[in-house]
Amino acid sequence: MSQKKIVGVTACSAGIAHTYMAAESLEKAGKEKGYQIKVETQGSIGIENGLTDQEIEEADVVILAIEINIDMSRFIGKRVMRVRASEAIKNPDALIESALNEAKSYGEKGTKAGIAKMGKTDEGGFFQHIMAGISYMIPMVIASGLILAIANVYAFQRDEAGRIVEWGFDISTAMGQLMANLFSVGQVGFLLMIPLFAGFVANSIAGKPAIAAAMIGTYIANDAEMLGAEAGGGFLAAILVAFTAGYLVKLLKKIPYPKLIQPIVPIMLIPLISTLLIALFVLYVVGNPMASMMNFLYDGLTTLNENYAAAPVIIGVIIGAMVGFDLGGPINKTALVFGTAVFTDTVAKYGIEGANFVPQTATQAAISVAPLGIWLASLLFKKKFSQTEKVSANSAFGMGIVGVTEGAIPFAAQDPIRMIPAFVAGSAVAGGLAAGLGIKFYGGIGSPLGAFIGYIEQPIPFVTWIFSVMMGVLVTAIIIGLTKRKVE
Amino acid sequence: MINEMFDANHVVFNSDIETKDDALRFIASFAEHIGIVKSSKSYYKGLKKREKEVTTGFKDGIAIPHCKHKTVLKPALMLVKFTQPIEWESMDKKAVHITFALAIPEGENQEHLKALSTISRALIDETFIDSLLSVTSEAGMYKLIRRKFSN
Repeated sequence: MSQKKIVGVTACSAGIAHTYMAAESLEKAGKEKGYQIKVETQGSIGIENGLTDQEIEEADVVILAIEINIDMSRFIGKRVMRVRASEAIKNPDALIESALNEAKSYGEKGTKAGIAKMGKTDEGGFFQHIMAGISYMIPMVIASGLILAIANVYAFQRDEAGRIVEWGFDISTAMGQLMANLFSVGQVGFLLMIPLFAGFVANSIAGKPAIAAAMIGTYIANDAEMLGAEAGGGFLAAILVAFTAGYLVKLLKKIPYPKLIQPIVPIMLIPLISTLLIALFVLYVVGNPMASMMNFLYDGLTTLNENYAAAPVIIGVIIGAMVGFDLGGPINKTALVFGTAVFTDTVAKYGIEGANFVPQTATQAAISVAPLGIWLASLLFKKKFSQTEKVSANSAFGMGIVGVTEGAIPFAAQDPIRMIPAFVAGSAVAGGLAAGLGIKFYGGIGSPLGAFIGYIEQPIPFVTWIFSVMMGVLVTAIIIGLTKRKVE
Repeated sequence: MINEMFDANHVVFNSDIETKDDALRFIASFAEHIGIVKSSKSYYKGLKKREKEVTTGFKDGIAIPHCKHKTVLKPALMLVKFTQPIEWESMDKKAVHITFALAIPEGENQEHLKALSTISRALIDETFIDSLLSVTSEAGMYKLIRRKFSN
């Protein structure tokens, strides 16, 4: 086995003595055990012996012996053990051992974890490749999604009572024309993101030579016109095409090519052959069945929503729970992407009247529940929160109120067994209520603020939305209050 | 740098003090006596406040009371040995005998802070701690610390 690598950060409240004693004793204990160890000190002198991204990346475990809050974003996806600085001075040997054996992965935020795992295709599993694809797709989803949302607000034409009577841009005005153009810009993003996703899934499986086949194949599979189908194959098709392309290329790479042509194999031969095969496979084999399946699914979802009163609630609950589960991780993002995809696809297919708002509304109602729940719990159950936790809870409020779930990550990372069920329960309540009460979330901030900043159709203006979200927040806060341990 | 912060008269042994609070008062008035702080009362308050955040009791009978305070005139290390055992809520629950008291002026420069971090790190060295505990005279203590930090 190779030498274990450990990195650490020490910091105490005064930044004068404990920081350095903790660092020294960790370094000493680590070296005695034959580990490679580097400890960064964040004291009153500033940061010394700073860890590089590469060192963090290569480390088996991260030990944080800190009494103050430090920037944790560097350690996302790493196994992290967080203790008080005195712990490292008192018993560094035991600390290092327990860190190596028990440290839990810190706030997996899909994005980074996906990238971190890129290229390690040998032990890669299905989900790992999907995550790699999602992590590359998210920036595009967000950029184009926001542009769509901005434009969307201008697409609702209302009657005198303020009800929406028609969806579409009034292009006789300059503003309407601009917004119509912006809407198209956003749509380009949504068109590109599916092939982009597939390209990087394939890249995760078989490297660069697989990108061409996967992107081109997926584009075709998602293009209703080329297929002569009613609708594109969407994500299901993308996943299928990406995996087929990825494993096809992996296979092609195994062929023992003559030495003479080897240089052109990865840049010409494999891309050409795989793209040809995949394109034909999509056009003549899977393209149409996948497209019909997507069509069927969306039709089914609509029928379900229209004919069964409980369906939106159940979908809302599930989507809400997904949002609260990993706080910006792959499951949360899947719910987010699903919500957006269902909304945009059904708008395109049935028009705004027939659009399916359920998953999108549930996602947005649930998105601020975890961080706001933490914050409310820190107000209601003061004794259960340490001073530093109260500070984190306040910053969770800041993030939650603008609809950023990630604000709750520090708490989930610290105590996943108690926190995650609380987040999931509250988020599910918010999602279920919002969907069940028939709220339609068109766009805006996914928090109680959304009632003012955004466009939400609801039975009682402002009230229904805020009520749904706050009920979720309350449920999360109460569960935290009941389960969280008292501060020692 | 440590040489500038640590002088022969910075070492003192005390044989009658029995509580942590009295020990901190003693350190503070000693600091005023040798001209390191302007007001022993302010320095005592500073030390006390730091102890409240987290005890500075280390292990094997060592403590490092310290604070950054505007009453401090010049950065200094003082070594105070208490012959009576003092309860300091230390990490190994053992009573404290030797204190490395640090005084840091407000807005102190990097070099002094660095020196202090060197001192803190030195306390992890067990052989150094062992010899500290075995020294019986103020002069011997001064020499030992001087030697440790001269290289």
